[in-house]
Amino acid sequence: MANEYIDVETLKFLLNEVHDLEEILNLPEYNDHDSDSIDLLINSVKDFSDKEMYPYFKEMDENPAHFKNGEIVVHPQVSKYMKASGEMGLLAGAFPYKDGGMQLPSTVMNALGYIQEAANNHLPGYIGLTIGAAELITHFGNENLNQTYVPKMLNGTWGGTMCLTEPQAGSSLSDIVTSATPDGDRYKIHGQKIFISGGDYQGAENIVHLLLARIDGAPAGTKGISLFVVPKNRPDGHGQLAPNDVETVTDFEKMGQKGYCTTHLFFGGNGDCHGYLVGELHQGLKYMFLMMNGARIAVGRGAAAICAAAYQASLKYAHERAQGRKLASTGKKDVHQEQTLIVNHPDVRRMLLLQKVVSEGALSLVLLTSKYQDLSKSLQNAEEREKYALLLEILTPIVKTYPSEMGRVAVDNGVQILGGYGFCSDYILQQYLRDIRIFSIYEGTTGIQSQDLLGRKITMENGKALQLLSNEIKTTIKAAMVMDNLQAYAHTLGDKLQLTQDILKSLLGYAQKGDYERFLADATPFMDYFSNILIAWLWLDMAREAQQALLTGSKRHNTTFYESKIHAMQFYFTYELPKTTGLAEIIMNDKALTIGSKQKVFGNEY
Amino acid sequence: MKILVCISNVPDTTSKINFTEGDTKFDTNGVQFVINPNDEFGLTRAMWFKEKQGATVHVATVGGAQTEPTIRKALAIGADEAIRINAEPTDGFFVARQLAEVAKNGGYDLIIAGRESIDYNGGMVPGIIATLLDMNFVNTCVSLEIEGTDAKAVREIDGGNETIATSLPLVIGGQKGLVEESDLRIPNMRGIMMARKKALHVVEATDAPTMTADVKFEKPAAKGPVKLVDAGNIDELISLLHNEAKAI
Ligand SMILES: Cc1cc2nc3c(=O)[nH]c(=O)nc-3n(C[C@H](O)[C@H](O)[C@H](O)COP(=O)(O)OP(=O)(O)OC[C@H]3O[C@@H](n4cnc5c(N)ncnc54)[C@H](O)[C@@H]3O)c2cc1C
Repeated sequence: MANEYIDVETLKFLLNEVHDLEEILNLPEYNDHDSDSIDLLINSVKDFSDKEMYPYFKEMDENPAHFKNGEIVVHPQVSKYMKASGEMGLLAGAFPYKDGGMQLPSTVMNALGYIQEAANNHLPGYIGLTIGAAELITHFGNENLNQTYVPKMLNGTWGGTMCLTEPQAGSSLSDIVTSATPDGDRYKIHGQKIFISGGDYQGAENIVHLLLARIDGAPAGTKGISLFVVPKNRPDGHGQLAPNDVETVTDFEKMGQKGYCTTHLFFGGNGDCHGYLVGELHQGLKYMFLMMNGARIAVGRGAAAICAAAYQASLKYAHERAQGRKLASTGKKDVHQEQTLIVNHPDVRRMLLLQKVVSEGALSLVLLTSKYQDLSKSLQNAEEREKYALLLEILTPIVKTYPSEMGRVAVDNGVQILGGYGFCSDYILQQYLRDIRIFSIYEGTTGIQSQDLLGRKITMENGKALQLLSNEIKTTIKAAMVMDNLQAYAHTLGDKLQLTQDILKSLLGYAQKGDYERFLADATPFMDYFSNILIAWLWLDMAREAQQALLTGSKRHNTTFYESKIHAMQFYFTYELPKTTGLAEIIMNDKALTIGSKQKVFGNEY
Repeated sequence: MKILVCISNVPDTTSKINFTEGDTKFDTNGVQFVINPNDEFGLTRAMWFKEKQGATVHVATVGGAQTEPTIRKALAIGADEAIRINAEPTDGFFVARQLAEVAKNGGYDLIIAGRESIDYNGGMVPGIIATLLDMNFVNTCVSLEIEGTDAKAVREIDGGNETIATSLPLVIGGQKGLVEESDLRIPNMRGIMMARKKALHVVEATDAPTMTADVKFEKPAAKGPVKLVDAGNIDELISLLHNEAKAI
């Protein structure tokens, strides 16, 4: 199953050469691993995904999760995958030894997650949320919660969820109303949560919900929210489970990711739902946000993976489908000639190259952000840790958004490559397009991420994160400047950094005047603009690494492989990066057309 | 029971194969290497003997340092120790001679090799090892059971199977059937971590002649584009299968 859904060679190139995984493995925390064992792990997870995941991808779409007789029926592979993942170590991998884990860096775990998501994006969420829920318990929960829940979660016996969203509180979590009433050493939970991924499914022995609720009398807004463990079935301390008054109301019918259930849950309908406080009172949202960087990288990773799988599928089709003829030097087509493969038409090549630059650029961003996460956590020097923590903060909204937004555009181009078949369910491309749609919505919409980028991250600590990021970019520019064939591109990227300064000066002017609505009104075009430039940087870095390998005669990949990376970088700088000029014009416009409600901009009815 | 599983380091079947130096050498750049599938069936059967009958399992390969990931995988699957004979595997006789030397020194009861490796398909290694060591030999082995020193082996023959009673010490040339594909094991994280701590001995090669040299490799002709035929147009399909694909 070579490149049916993923190009492992590119993954390894990015991991080992461009992002120098060795640097992380040399840190004391991770030095029980080496690059050979990680290589073996990657191959193992690819084999695992070939066997346990990819064969069920289409089936899970055709047989969606659904609500029946009070429970949610999912594809039988869900339970098998949970268990098999536990045995593989995919659930425990990132946890420290003391929690029964294998202390693998996040960069490696994300590489493994990427392979699985490319194989079948309907499955990894089940373990991803279980990992996230277990992480919250190990970080903030007491010993009792740790012992009761974590081992069963990490071996794949019990699932986990994140219960934040309520009907009136989606983007705005400060409006959460689910209540927690003190009841001895525990709380009674009452309220409903919607859109809860993996919230209930047939065959799960237990599901451990990590739930945000407001303790009676708590302050309004985000400051009054606490975090609770609320199991579907509560352990009685003697090895038995008793129902905990968590009712599954229904499963949402969705346009994509249909095998990954999305549930509506009602807690405490009979007044008997026990919740156990995690950490301190009123710190719930803060705890959730501490875990948010990882969750957002995971969303970007999923979108990057779908985009890569769609690229492989359309690339294969383009090499098999013969249609039309190439133009002869007369400008005409010779109808007596055999039809050519569509990969030979420049317009098809353009679409394929777009898929390639977006998917590989997105993957590079995911791995770099993960690396910053590892360095911010595990470096010895506190000042250095702080540096990478800031870099992680600024990249987090972007790593969530770029793969989701541009990934969708790239997959859409993949559908186009298949012509009419792209629209038909005989071919897989339409499924990728439906599946990727959710990534720019959950875990904070693009609008919310863009406001986070412009409103918080760009300005945090007087622009220090942005300054650090610019320094990283300048280091790449400097290294590329000495390579003849990269010099011009390095110059262009330098000019874009200057343009960014101009844009920010114009936008920050509004903030200084106290006009925050205007400052953030075009946060999303700014996200488009800024992420486009970051991906240009990452492509220049890939081209630099490839060029270096060609110069030194590296044997890790063949010449064609390295040359293809340089070609793709040129494509990115020629077809994608110039879009930032138009975006800059949009962002710096002074018309404020989206602000204000005085005019009837949507006609007479509204 | 002490078992030696001989492992050949071969390109993944999905790798793109190219030749260099006037088509006399295989270009290994960017190629993913794996345990030879016939050897993997044998290794998996050896793991069964380890788990059910308390056997000790060693693996050996002939190759440079670049083959170590492949034998590490065998360790991650559960083999106890690995031996790498530090030499280029130039031809079948040379390889068999090296493995026989290791086997002789290790005092193994059972030597499991693959019926053939999927790269050069020589198919001679297990037979030569058995000859050099003067041991019983069963080739194309699809089933193996052992009780004490008695062995019952099934070998695939044209159109059927043949069951053979023999005894240890024994060499087999194994293949699919020893275990099924669904029995093959994917190393898990813990196994991979433990493999780093297991012994991997590197030994130098013994003198042995290389009896053959590659003169030229040729690849099959490249595949043409796919032709889509209307579901109703059987005549065109038959004509294409007959005249172009020459499949009927
Ligand atoms: C398949 C799926 C799985 C999910 N899984 C989970 C889960 O496991 N756990 C969980 O807790 N939640 C989950 N969610 C919920 C998800 O996180 C929310 O749907 C998302 O945060 C958006 O909230 P909302 O749907 O209420 O939309 P709204 O918040 O109503 O947003 C509607 C639109 O308005 C925009 N908007 C809202 N507020 C602002 C603002 N202040 N400024 C600018 N624009 C704004 C948004 O960007 C969006 O375009 C899931 C959702 C889906 C569809």
